[in-house]
Amino acid sequence: MSSQKPPYRELETRMKEAEELFHALRTQQVDAIVGERHIMVVRLKQAEENLKNSRNELRALAAHLLSARENERAVIARELHDEFGQALTSLHLGLAWISRKLTPGQRPLEEKVKSLSTITTSLIRSVKDIASELRPGVLDELGLVKTLKSEAREFEGHTGIQCRFKTNAAKAKFDRSAAVAIFRIVQATLTNVARHAHASRARIALIKRKNGLILTVTDNGKGISRKLIHEHDSLGITGMRERAVALGGTFTLAGSGSKGTILTVQIPLSRVIIGTSR
Amino acid sequence: MKARKREERGTAKATRETYVFRLFVAGDESNSSQARRNLTRICEEHLKGHHKIDIVDVLKDAAAAHKNNVVVTPTLILVKPLPKVIVLGNLNDSKQVLAALRLTGDER
Repeated sequence: MSSQKPPYRELETRMKEAEELFHALRTQQVDAIVGERHIMVVRLKQAEENLKNSRNELRALAAHLLSARENERAVIARELHDEFGQALTSLHLGLAWISRKLTPGQRPLEEKVKSLSTITTSLIRSVKDIASELRPGVLDELGLVKTLKSEAREFEGHTGIQCRFKTNAAKAKFDRSAAVAIFRIVQATLTNVARHAHASRARIALIKRKNGLILTVTDNGKGISRKLIHEHDSLGITGMRERAVALGGTFTLAGSGSKGTILTVQIPLSRVIIGTSR
Repeated sequence: MKARKREERGTAKATRETYVFRLFVAGDESNSSQARRNLTRICEEHLKGHHKIDIVDVLKDAAAAHKNNVVVTPTLILVKPLPKVIVLGNLNDSKQVLAALRLTGDER
């Protein structure tokens, strides 16, 4: 905004006009730029709105895909457990029956049955593990806190990396889909720790605060570069971020060589805790 | 500055001068439409019956824009009373616009 000034204030006026022009452009209040020969219509506001809408659509799509994937996993896990698991158990029982019917003179056959029985036992265990990985039944049975405790224990057992879990939300009742999301974030983070961090120690904390539920996973490994965090092909990280955002939360990942890696997810309590169990 | 504004407000109120505005817009683009609506509202609220608005669509009349040194739209020029005032943007910030047009506190 400016007014005509005496000539000696011309420079001041021009500067003020330039500031106003800059302000109008920066705040996207300009529709067209009038040039010597052409008039250029600029739709910055609309472009930004379109971009925002596209982002929201992508977010919604990502949330839908995550949810669809979880449902699909649950179906496959159930099929594996019910169909394949049952068939293998029948096979195992059948082999045991044959073994009992064999006479001492049928030693080669006995050896073969024993070998097949061992393979069947191993297959039953594998099916159970795969089903559990696809849909951790323990999450439905025991709840999020106990599942995370168990996950930490199993992680330590598999990798040898010391893993501790602490929480102040042991009595909280979690929304089912939020619990799955948190569990998957922890699972993916621990996989990254095992694969990339070169850590000897990991800590998982699920802390309930006034402003939200805060999940942190830390390790004492080599850290993570900013470039890697923002790389588009870091699908694991993108997946974790999308899970947090789908719950109205925030996701941050930071790390340096001296401090290891710190993952922090903060989710509004209203989206994740639905009550308190006794 | 304050004294000058008081003086100007007093003048505008006492003489009931007609305010002549020229608003440069780009068709029905979003900011231009907002500027049009905001200017009409401001005039209704603060200058009822004492204003004249001349809308110039630069997409139809680029020469007028060049002649008035208009470089972007929307641009509002207070032609009269002097001194001339130029306001850029959609005029959404009523407080700033009223201050620039020397209409602060001059309620009808």
